[in-house]
Formats: sequence, structure tokens, C-alpha cells
Amino acid sequence: MKTEFRPLNLFSLFGVELLKIRRSKIFWILLIPAVMMWLPSAMNANVNFIGAYDISPEHNYFIQGYMGMAWFMIPATLIVCTVLMHQTESSGRGLVKCLSQPVSAWKICLAKFLVAVFLTAVQLVLSIVAYYGSAMLASRLYDYDFVLPFPYVCRVASLIYAAVIPAAAVYWMIGVLIRIPIFSVGLGLASIVPSVLMLNTKMWYCYPFDYPFYMLMTEYGKLVPELFSTKAALIPMVPIGIGTTLLCLAVACSRYGAVERNFDSL
Amino acid sequence: MTGYASPFCMPFLETRKMKRTGFCQAFLGGGALAALVPVVNMAVRAETFTSQPGSPFRILMEANWQLMAQLNIFLLVCGACLLYHTEYADNAIQKAQSLPLRPSGLFLGKLGILLTACLIPLCLETASLTLCCMHWFPDRPGESLRILTGMAFAFAMLLPTGAAMLLLSSMCRNMWISLGAGVILVFFASMLTTSLSSIGGALALVPFCGPYRMLHELPDREAALWTACLCLGEVVLLCAAERVYQSIRRCFA
Repeated sequence: MKTEFRPLNLFSLFGVELLKIRRSKIFWILLIPAVMMWLPSAMNANVNFIGAYDISPEHNYFIQGYMGMAWFMIPATLIVCTVLMHQTESSGRGLVKCLSQPVSAWKICLAKFLVAVFLTAVQLVLSIVAYYGSAMLASRLYDYDFVLPFPYVCRVASLIYAAVIPAAAVYWMIGVLIRIPIFSVGLGLASIVPSVLMLNTKMWYCYPFDYPFYMLMTEYGKLVPELFSTKAALIPMVPIGIGTTLLCLAVACSRYGAVERNFDSL
Repeated sequence: MTGYASPFCMPFLETRKMKRTGFCQAFLGGGALAALVPVVNMAVRAETFTSQPGSPFRILMEANWQLMAQLNIFLLVCGACLLYHTEYADNAIQKAQSLPLRPSGLFLGKLGILLTACLIPLCLETASLTLCCMHWFPDRPGESLRILTGMAFAFAMLLPTGAAMLLLSSMCRNMWISLGAGVILVFFASMLTTSLSSIGGALALVPFCGPYRMLHELPDREAALWTACLCLGEVVLLCAAERVYQSIRRCFA
């Protein structure tokens, strides 16, 4: 039988990367914050009846719940996911074995990035499910309908998660370029801390890490116009976001496995 | 040189292991970042703070400590993950276990390093807060003792967090699990501090919540001393927990 050489395409590499992390327990790290964040807010749902602004309790419940998620938990889980995707290769010299296979390194790099983004999408689904669970629980507890229509919830949550992609690309690039884990992780975590401060400056669009929080705050602004701008300023944000993503992915893909390719370092 | 390994030598053995891990540089960099926070804040909007009455140290802490404490906690999380990652990465811990050393000594050595390393960012922060006080509040002298006691209290508050995080990372073979769990804990602690700020003092004893506490929030000197002592006790308890965990793991290994 004649075997034909067929290089692996990006899609099958994506599947391979998913197989590699099947015993990583990453699912629990995605699930626990989504569930545990919504449980206390369901218990304390009565605070939404005494808001300072003119906003309906069910919208307030939804926005306040996603607030902690948008500014802290989504970028932090992304950092953990990038660590996971790098560690599967760096332990046991996995990357050296990968480079000896007829697979281009940039495809592996891109597939790994896509898996990290996919894990974020999994968290998006989990957080929506957890939101509905907690909203139903709060409705039962306080005898008031906290459940919002499904298309609205999906749209806002997806916008928040879509806005995190530029930040994901930056984290991925940092992870590729800086091979010492404490520096890449520390830089990522340190970038989360000033994101709320940066959002209040005029140059917020230069800082991709505050995009998810910006999307949430514009949704808040649509409901409470005196609090924040009512319309998302897409013009500086989307081009800068796309540009950052492409640039960071290009740098990451071109530098992926550079150390392993250098014979002297082995 | 004798073949006898004294447990007192353990910290020095551990310091040699972190030679090329970037541990010290990370603590220096993170500390410098945290020390920049009050300086930048004062430089951008000095009038808002200089117009406030009262102790300058208190004004600075209330304006900046939230961010600085968060950076300190992140440093502890990263540092603790790294200290055990070097052991677990290439199964070095198995080799360490075959040496004539106590396994609890490994933990104690790493704990000593982590808690000493906390002093690096805290010293940098103390220096920057002192400079801020001298530069922007020249008319209100005599703050240095208050800054020193305040930062000593902050150091005591960091200790249980460091010990708890190190315990967590000693349990997890893979770095992303300890990092993920640490990040989740930091997240819930920041939620707890905002929602349960009414109980104040008791929250200082909860690891990951404590570092947000400030000395002037406590009612008196005695309460602060008690809190610091209880934090030290907590560190001892966490060391005991590690000891118990190791014996359990040995049974099931």
C-alpha cells in the first residue's frame, strides 16, 4: 500500500492539542469561578432592589454579576490557559519532538492559541449557564423575575468575551517570547491590575486589556446613561484590537520554538 | 565537609536552586511596579490628596493600597507557584525525596525564601511612600514611624497568604492548577473584601483577604498586635498542615 504524505492542517492540529489537554483538569478551573461567582450574587440578589441609579433589578443583577468576571476573571483564566498550553510542550521536551515531525511550527503555535481561545469560549458558555441557574434561584428566593431574555444575555456575554481576544494574543506572545514562567505569568497578572484605571483615561483604547470591561461598561451606560458612554466607540477600538492581535500572533508564530531550533541550547 | 545535612542549612540549599529562575528579579520588578503606584497617582492628581486633612500616610494608603496589595498578592502567587514548579517540572522532587533530608524541610526552606522575598517589594513600597510623604506633604513631618509600623503590619498580613499559597502549590504537580486555584482564590478574596468590609478585623486573618487590611482600620494598638500574632500562628498551623499532608501522601503513594 502506498502511503501518501499529507501535512496536518490547522484543524487537525487543533484536535491534537485538545487531546493533549484532556487530562489537565482545566475544565474545573473554568467551571469553579463561573459557578461560585453567581452563587453569592443569587443569595444577595435583594441588594438590586435598592440601587442608586434608575435601572431595573434584573439588569443590575446581570451587569453587577459580570463585572468581576470582566475585569479580573476572564484575563486571569486566559493567563492560566496560556500557561497550560505552554507547559504541555515544555515538559519532557515535547516541542523538540514536535519540531522533528513534518509539521510547521507556526501551525502548532496557532493551534495552541486557538485552543486557549476555545477554552475561553467554553467559559463563556459555562458563565451563561451559571447565570441562568443563579437568576432562576434568585427569582425563586425573592419572588421577582430576574431572568433576562436569552438573546440579550448571549449578545452581551459574547461581546465581552470577543473583546478579550486582543489581550489573549498579547498574553500568548508574552508566553512565547519569555520562557521563564514567572516573568510571563507575572507580566500578565500585573497587566490586569491597572485596567480599571486605564479605562477612565482618554487613551483607553491603547490598552487592550481593558476592552472586555469597556464592553460591559458601555452596556451599563446604555441602561444608565449618566454613568458611562452609551455607545461603544468602535472606531479606534476594533482596528487597534485587530492590529494588536495580528501583530502579536505574527511575532509569536515566527518565534515559536526558536530556542529548541537552536542546536547549541539543547 | 561532612555528609550530615543539618536542617538549618536548608534555606541555603533552596536559595541555590532558584539561581536561574528569575525569582529575585520578578520580586524586584513587581515591587518596583507597586512602588510606582503612589508616585504616579500623586503626580497625576496631587491636589485631590494634598487638600485632604490628616496623616499623609493614611491618605496615601487609602488611595493606593488596594492596587499595591493586589500586586503583592500576585507576586506571592507567582513566587509560590514557581518555587514548587522547579521541583515538579522534571521530577526533581523524586530525587529530592531520595536524599537524606526531611521532606518538611523542603517546605520550610521554600517558605523561608518566600516570606523573606516579601520584604523586597515591601521595602521598595516603604521607600516610595516615604518619598511621596516628603515631596508632596512637606508641611506635615513626623510620618516615618507611622510608615514603618504600617508596613510592618502589612508584612505580617502577607505571611498567611504566602504560607497558604505555598501549601497549595506543594499539593499540585502541575503549575497551571496551582496558578488557577490561586487566581480563583485571589478573585474571591477581592469579592469578600468588598462585600464583607463591615466585619473588618476578622477578615485580616483570612489568607488572600488579609493583605488588603491597613493598620489604621484596626481600633487600637492591641488589636493590631493580636492580629499580627494570630497571623504568625496561622503560618505555624499551615506548616503543620503541610506536615500532615506529606504523611498522608506517603501513605497513598
